[in-house]
Amino acid sequence: MNDTKTNNNSLIGQSIPRIDSPSKVTGKAQYAGDIILPGTLYGKLLLSTVAHAKIKNIDISAALALPGVKDVIVGKDTPCIKFGNWRLFPNTQDELPLAVDKVRFIGDEIAAVAAITPEIAEAAIALIKVEYELLPAVFNIDDSLAPGAPLIHDENKELTSNISLDRKIDVGDIEQAFKDADYIREDSFLVHPHSHAYMEPCATIAETDAEGRVTIYTSTQTPYIVQCLLASTLGIPENHVRVVKPAIGGGFGGKMELRTWEFCAAFMSRRTGRPVRFVLTRQEELEIGRRRHGMKIKSKVGFKKDGTIVAKDFEAYLDGGAYNSMGPTATFLCGNFGAMLYRYPVYRYRGYHVYTNLPPSGAMRGFGAPQAMFISETQMNMAAIDLGIDAIDLRIKNAMVTGDKIEGVTTISSAGFVESLEKIASATQWKEKKKNLPPNKGIGIGCYSFISGGVFNWFNTQYHFSACEVRAYDDGTAHLFTMSCDIGQGSDTVLRQILAADLGILPNMIRLTAGDTAMTPKGDLGTWGSRVTLMNGNAILDASKKIKNELAKIVSVKFNLNVIHDVAFADGRVFAKANPKYGMTFGEAVTMWVKMNRGEELTARGVYTPRDKGLTTPAYSFGAQVAEVDVDPETGVVTVEKISTAHDCGTVINPLSVEGQLEGAIQMGLGYTLCEQFAIKDGKTLNTTFLDYKVPAAEDMPQIVSYKIDTYEKEGPFGAKEVGEGLVIPTAPAIADAVFQATGYRCKDLPITPEKILKSQGKI
Amino acid sequence: MAIPNFNYLAPTTLKEALTMRVSHGAKSSIMAGGTDLLIKMAHRNHHPEYVIGLNCVADINYIRYNAAGNLAIGPMAKLSTIMDHPDIVSHFPALSHSSGVTATVQIRNMSTLIGNIVNASPSADNATPLLVLDASLVIMHEGGEREVPLHEFFLGFGNSVMKPTELIKEMILPMPGKNSGSSYQKISTRSKVDIAGVCVSAFLTLNDAGVITTARIALGSVAPKPIRVPQAEQVLEGQKPSIELFRKAAALSREEAKPISDMRASADYRKAMVEVLTIRALEASLLIATNKTH
Repeated sequence: MNDTKTNNNSLIGQSIPRIDSPSKVTGKAQYAGDIILPGTLYGKLLLSTVAHAKIKNIDISAALALPGVKDVIVGKDTPCIKFGNWRLFPNTQDELPLAVDKVRFIGDEIAAVAAITPEIAEAAIALIKVEYELLPAVFNIDDSLAPGAPLIHDENKELTSNISLDRKIDVGDIEQAFKDADYIREDSFLVHPHSHAYMEPCATIAETDAEGRVTIYTSTQTPYIVQCLLASTLGIPENHVRVVKPAIGGGFGGKMELRTWEFCAAFMSRRTGRPVRFVLTRQEELEIGRRRHGMKIKSKVGFKKDGTIVAKDFEAYLDGGAYNSMGPTATFLCGNFGAMLYRYPVYRYRGYHVYTNLPPSGAMRGFGAPQAMFISETQMNMAAIDLGIDAIDLRIKNAMVTGDKIEGVTTISSAGFVESLEKIASATQWKEKKKNLPPNKGIGIGCYSFISGGVFNWFNTQYHFSACEVRAYDDGTAHLFTMSCDIGQGSDTVLRQILAADLGILPNMIRLTAGDTAMTPKGDLGTWGSRVTLMNGNAILDASKKIKNELAKIVSVKFNLNVIHDVAFADGRVFAKANPKYGMTFGEAVTMWVKMNRGEELTARGVYTPRDKGLTTPAYSFGAQVAEVDVDPETGVVTVEKISTAHDCGTVINPLSVEGQLEGAIQMGLGYTLCEQFAIKDGKTLNTTFLDYKVPAAEDMPQIVSYKIDTYEKEGPFGAKEVGEGLVIPTAPAIADAVFQATGYRCKDLPITPEKILKSQGKI
Repeated sequence: MAIPNFNYLAPTTLKEALTMRVSHGAKSSIMAGGTDLLIKMAHRNHHPEYVIGLNCVADINYIRYNAAGNLAIGPMAKLSTIMDHPDIVSHFPALSHSSGVTATVQIRNMSTLIGNIVNASPSADNATPLLVLDASLVIMHEGGEREVPLHEFFLGFGNSVMKPTELIKEMILPMPGKNSGSSYQKISTRSKVDIAGVCVSAFLTLNDAGVITTARIALGSVAPKPIRVPQAEQVLEGQKPSIELFRKAAALSREEAKPISDMRASADYRKAMVEVLTIRALEASLLIATNKTH
């Protein structure tokens, strides 16, 4: 056979550039903040200036009297319906759109103004007078849990302390296991909060039709979640709310809840009949935006002399700030991630989500894993030294492999972890370099594993976890409708690539509509937990299969194909695999189908819901990362010279996107490890600009090399699994280990600062 | 964040600008590159009613020698021009370095050297190099002009001797003698592209016998204003350079540094770094001074 035509899946593994790049690079992309509708009013929020207080009185009269002000609302004007993403447990929904009786952190939202210009809105906010009765406030976990500490949510009679929620995991007999250990590693750690620092501050604009239905354009990762929670807080049916996701400038977990400004825009738009718009400033973002949980963690790991792990006892206190936000999920996942990477035959986890009078922590890239794995990886590095075993050898000895189980929690359906470790050891010449380190140089390792979407349903959706609709047209094109949101990670490109590969047509033959609750299929929870490629990819393949099934019938009938012949889809054609001349173009096949169905449109809905996949996820990524650093012995300044990563994300759909994820993750990991840190004094965030909240710049990036470990994840589309979040995890432990090798300073209290290094050496 | 309303005035000569300055006084601000001013206004930290922009004033972005053979720098000379200017690179290495590491490419393309100085921030990258290079500012006022040495210019955080009715005409950099060298050293939380957590500049001139005839040291981010350290300078002058001598000067610099602890660094760390950076700045200056061919 001399048929040289490429196979169906030739698009898989191709570095197709982002379909949104031209519009973003030329400034044409429309973000929520770019949308101004006729008659738009400009919203502004009044934020609490105190950390914990009863609201005695709010006087809005002067603000209302200001010419140009069209609406001023306070908590009591709203239906006062609490919200939160854990709808399955209504008691965890602890947040009101605007504070009513009490404020719980500096930045808690108290009132909102809508005016004809942003300047008038700002001036009106300054005219609102709030009378507070101050309450004692707590700004860290210890104070919050101390006897006599003020109860931050005293309205919740089920709570007797500031612990809003806990999570326990018990696998095996922990006491006995530690008795059997030859060596026990026990340490305490502090990890700090971390900002998403997305480039696009949150923005939203809402309009209301004559019947009171709301359309809201908003920077969100989760239109369906915003739709449900906005409808419930407004007290209207879900389908009276349409959420549209425009271009999004990054989310990283920070845009996956209903937020106050979304409620206020919709609520005031209903009251005034005019569009209402909110655009947060960077200062507001850094002051009241969600952040990664700071945690206080104790971890105890038992080993045999030969390095075999016998048990782990892991206790985490999460600083949740003033509200639950996504903290319950982080508390849950932190325990699961504490049990990952290595075979812990016995495992105990105690996780506590603690309220403090600080801005609420929420979901952020890695979601409990960067903290849990900074600890587990650091302890592996410490144990390796004490046991006299190389740190990579110790990991390989205990590494999870395909088929491993955490009893009652999860099964590892594919793992390229050992291969990642072996690859990174040889590629970086790990052992030789480590033996011959020049002065002030260090080399260190950190590893990771992450979920490909969650199987949990605390949101309590009645619909499929992921869904899409595909429409095929007689001109050879298709239209993909999906609720998955491209928030900068590239899913629009990759999802189109998956559909194009499967239908055998070119990606630019596919129109894509994403994230519009009035158009895209209900029952997709959006973009979080590294779920999109696997879950929406599977939904797309489900829909594609249905379309292909219909078109295969057409070709079979037309060419009288024997039932034993398979029908292939490639190069824009549908044909008998064994004899391609029996076939027609994709468009011709659709035309015939439409004729045969008397004018019906060829559409198919595809869905995916992980079922019987344990408590966590259908599939895990794995990887190992080595950092090489230089530490200035006099100043303590750490320069990360090179970061090498070997990772297993299953089949790579788009290498360019994977590379982008890796580079972005390293940048975020560098910041988390070395320079990003909230300066908070008495509950007030002091560094509310990028001058003082220091995100690494392009010039700070090290040399980056990566090695792809080949695995095939049978649960994933074309064998793919996650690559969005896991890569942010290993950088902190790898750099920390390298800094230890260079200086003798072992970080148990992130971030690593020059000062901490010099202090540990007695130099200051 | 939107900038509140203001009146923008666009003079076409410095004289016209001065007239506007005189009539609006404290209600006015001069804008050169605007990279500090506009941000202060956006953050509501500064509320000028009149912004006098120098953009339309012709021929004030110069870097040229004056009649006395010293380098004169105009108010619209951008940092991106300063950093690469051949005369600055060869005669004022501390300044070419500091202007090249101020903020980011985009900001350096907009911001001016004189603006960076008038802003009077204790952490301004270019303040300590200009202090050790013995720069002075020519300030215009209604009755004429006066020349103020830079070490007398700064009064405190964001505060200088320039009056609201005055305007900077230019900066003068005296030509260093032969066997001179200067260096700028900085530490910040991010390795690059960052405001200085601590910065130190040094300047040395040696005579033909290898004795230090002039020494200047300046410290940034360790006091409400950038400061010179005469005690340390006196220790150096009249001596032959040695690492012991530099250590002595560095210890004195450390003593003179009166930093605060803030979110950028603790006082202890800053003091320790003053010592480290002083030695480095002196060593680098010496290297340049002794390698100079002309």
